[in-house]
Amino acid sequence: MNAMLSMVRAQTSGGATALALFVAFASVFFLAIGSNPLAMLAEIARSAWGDSYALGETLLRATPILLCALATIVPARAGLISVGAEGQLYFGALAGTGLLLASGAPASAWMLPAVLLAGAIGGALWALTPALLRVGANANETISTLLLNYVAALLVTWLVYGPWKNPQSQGWPASIEFPMEARLPLLWESRAHAGLLIALVLAVVLHVLLTRSRWGLELDLMRSNPRAALLAGFGQRRRIVLALLAGGLLAGLAGIAETAAVQGRLQADLSNGAGLSGFLVAWLARNHALRAIAWALVVGGLLAAGDGLQMNANIPSSATLVVQGLLFVAVLLASGLRDWRHARAGASHG
Amino acid sequence: MAEAGIFDGLVVSSIRAATPLIYVLLGECLTQRVGRINLGVEGQMLVGAAAGYGVAAASGNPWLGLLAGAVVGSVLSLVYAVLTVPARANQFASGLAVWMLGFGLSAYVGAGLVGQHVEGFTPLANGFTPTMVLALLLVPCIGLWLYTTRTGLAWRAVGESPDVARAAGVQPALVIVLGIAAGGLLSGLGGAALSVDYTRTWAEGMSGGRGLVAVGLVIVARWNPWWTLPAALLFGCAEAMSLRMQAAHSAIPAHLLHTLPYLASLAVFAIACVRLRDSGAPAALKNVLER
Repeated sequence: MNAMLSMVRAQTSGGATALALFVAFASVFFLAIGSNPLAMLAEIARSAWGDSYALGETLLRATPILLCALATIVPARAGLISVGAEGQLYFGALAGTGLLLASGAPASAWMLPAVLLAGAIGGALWALTPALLRVGANANETISTLLLNYVAALLVTWLVYGPWKNPQSQGWPASIEFPMEARLPLLWESRAHAGLLIALVLAVVLHVLLTRSRWGLELDLMRSNPRAALLAGFGQRRRIVLALLAGGLLAGLAGIAETAAVQGRLQADLSNGAGLSGFLVAWLARNHALRAIAWALVVGGLLAAGDGLQMNANIPSSATLVVQGLLFVAVLLASGLRDWRHARAGASHG
Repeated sequence: MAEAGIFDGLVVSSIRAATPLIYVLLGECLTQRVGRINLGVEGQMLVGAAAGYGVAAASGNPWLGLLAGAVVGSVLSLVYAVLTVPARANQFASGLAVWMLGFGLSAYVGAGLVGQHVEGFTPLANGFTPTMVLALLLVPCIGLWLYTTRTGLAWRAVGESPDVARAAGVQPALVIVLGIAAGGLLSGLGGAALSVDYTRTWAEGMSGGRGLVAVGLVIVARWNPWWTLPAALLFGCAEAMSLRMQAAHSAIPAHLLHTLPYLASLAVFAIACVRLRDSGAPAALKNVLER
């Protein structure tokens, strides 16, 4: 009981340290660019969650980020650091659009689920190469997933400038528009879409699977004791591949949901950095699927606020990218300092 | 006039395309030698490219641009140093945080650079520019330094075993911070070489994964500065070929050709990893890479 209490205390003090560091870093940045830190933080909060329009934009931005965070969390539970959500998102969008184009877009109620499924499978396919390289060549998955991100984005760019370009779009590189049967419905009066509901349901399902199922237990074992898991048998490789593929499924879904709802057609640069933001959210949530929901709303809100900042405060929207980076640095620094204090406390006993 | 063949002068074009990467590779090589993997080189390149371009445009002096790139690259790398040395945070996550921060900072600063013009360097003989010559000179300098000097030995010792190095009177933490800062300096320089000399323009995210490629290619080069040159030339050659085939109206579309440098890097990375176990990897790194 005492141990639990002190753990809770350590967790909250870690959070407080991170928050204090973040506010300090962000204030220094705002002062450096000649703005009032308090006014800027208030403006960001208002632009992110202040009214129903802002909230809709935040939910819109948070959707692919949450899915990409889940795509990072599943491999992370097995001790793998995948940064491939960005590429899987692109390839998912590509695969879903490909199915739509290949089918000749017949009006059918099956169109939307088929397109979404194709997107998810596309994301998993993109995760297959790093997964096989990891188990076959012992190639570090962080580096291979990062390199493949650029390849997937280039493939989408090639298609929308070339073979899949809509001839009616007059120079603008994009595929044909998705028919209404293949579009995800919008939520309320906003641009947020049903992809958000899918992401929320998946977060809950994954949380249950990761914490309650045999599969989740096996992943935990792999992470906490790779050698013991290795001795436990031949299933290790299969589990590594499956964890990475499951991540790919989730990120692929993020990509096709963006395409089939927000943009309504395949375009270059569709991710808007959701992959890396998703990685940050996974880290903030410490690979906990439910906590990722809250953090996706925070990070999504921060990024959505960039546009408001540009309009209302005449500050380039890239300022929120800096703030996002500072948030990541603050959290790593705080958790590092906490572990260090623990280690020192442990060492003084020994 | 005779039609220019697709292979004419390919060596010089490859060196030109490889030059920014040579700096970054040398820098990341030193960082990994002291036992740290810094994915943040991508962000350090970006701030180097933005600062270098801004200073070169404002001062009219490309050398000042290179200097500015090197300075901001090292400053940003200190963030990574703080995260991974005293705070002991996860190396991959710390690198990604620095990348994210560098991307944001360079995009913020770079928004004011669009439309500005830099003079660039006056080319030397045979299409060589000063940044290319400097990069080619740095390879033997750093190679000799690492393998023949006492400080080089101390750096290698820290990467092998911080405890043994400490017993030999070396301060591992100081050497690690210096190794990270050297990586920051060289990646910032590489970023500036990219914007001031190679492309002579600034664009958001213009490093296009070169820093991440460098992290993989250092492993291909077996943490040996001498081998970073062929590794960088492989990427440079793939990039030069893709540009040439594009100019020659190849049947393969340009965007597909641009995947070539990444796929080539991934292929050699995977091949190098197969034999990683019995290679000359700094011992402190193996735990990070293989877990």
